[in-house]
Amino acid sequence: MRNFRKVCRTLHRDFGFLAVGLTLVYAVSGLAVNHAHHWDANYTRTLEPLRIDPVGLGPTAEIEPIVISRLGITDPIKNTWRAGEDKFQIFLEGLQYDVNLVTGEVIRHGFAKRPVFWDVNFMHLNSGKAPWTGIADAYAGILVLLALTGPFLIKGSKGLTGRGGILLALGIMVPLIYGVITRTTH
Amino acid sequence: MRKLTLLMILVLSLALASTALAGGKEKVYGKGISAPDTVRVSDVLADPDAYVGKTIRVTGMAVAVCEHRGCWVSLASDQEGETIRVKVKDGEIVFPPEIKGDLVTAEGVWTANQLTLEQTKAVCAAEARKQGEDYDPDDVETCMTTYQLSGTGAVVASK
Repeated sequence: MRNFRKVCRTLHRDFGFLAVGLTLVYAVSGLAVNHAHHWDANYTRTLEPLRIDPVGLGPTAEIEPIVISRLGITDPIKNTWRAGEDKFQIFLEGLQYDVNLVTGEVIRHGFAKRPVFWDVNFMHLNSGKAPWTGIADAYAGILVLLALTGPFLIKGSKGLTGRGGILLALGIMVPLIYGVITRTTH
Repeated sequence: MRKLTLLMILVLSLALASTALAGGKEKVYGKGISAPDTVRVSDVLADPDAYVGKTIRVTGMAVAVCEHRGCWVSLASDQEGETIRVKVKDGEIVFPPEIKGDLVTAEGVWTANQLTLEQTKAVCAAEARKQGEDYDPDDVETCMTTYQLSGTGAVVASK
């Protein structure tokens, strides 16, 4: 038993250090995406109303350079789109202009990746698929190892036979009870 | 242990490097595309019922993307003003806003959804709000059918 505990301690310590970075990634992203209905966890977005002299309802080929000139756009344009008779859209990197050709009203939409959050969410949601799948699988394995070795680190009243055992049971009961409730109600 | 640490660092570095190098001008979403021919968006919209239940491939510029979950993208038709919506399963494919203005080729099953009168009124009300127009629910007397591509995959060619 002493050797077993020693092995557990070694594994728990070393893999624990290894897991710190990824645990922070998954924890921060978990909080961010859990509240995705409260905020956009990946992008910051801006809306800015502008106004230009109305361009009128001419053919797209004629109005396009006029709109671009009146907006003073000098950055590279990805594409343009005549969304309707009086609606013209211009797409740039991280920017979109919605132009009303009749009134001259313009909405400039800006969007940019949130620092840190976009990156950790990309990892957490495995948007890039392989090879992150392998890293995430390995991390899951490490978490299992930490969970299985943790209870055997300490013996006595604070270990598995004492307070530790009660906390362990509580930690297992929470998902167990929730699982039973959701299965019977959904 | 030192060897294990070095091995882990090597594996992580290789994995991350290959991820970084994987980015290119074309990005595949979901299952990508496999249908042999592309159907023009204007043809689909001209006779939408003819394509219901069929797996089709369409191409168009991305002009709108779901802001909440990236779960749909609107593609511009080859005819001005027309768009079709490609809806994907939440979380399975996530379209980022950066693809607006890029050329998207999407594949999926063309589906029709017959709305009830109440649903039709709700859609009309939302559209009127969006366009800043007046709306009277009593003007809506017939049920609407909405069409969309239930997307299984897409390829986005960045400009």
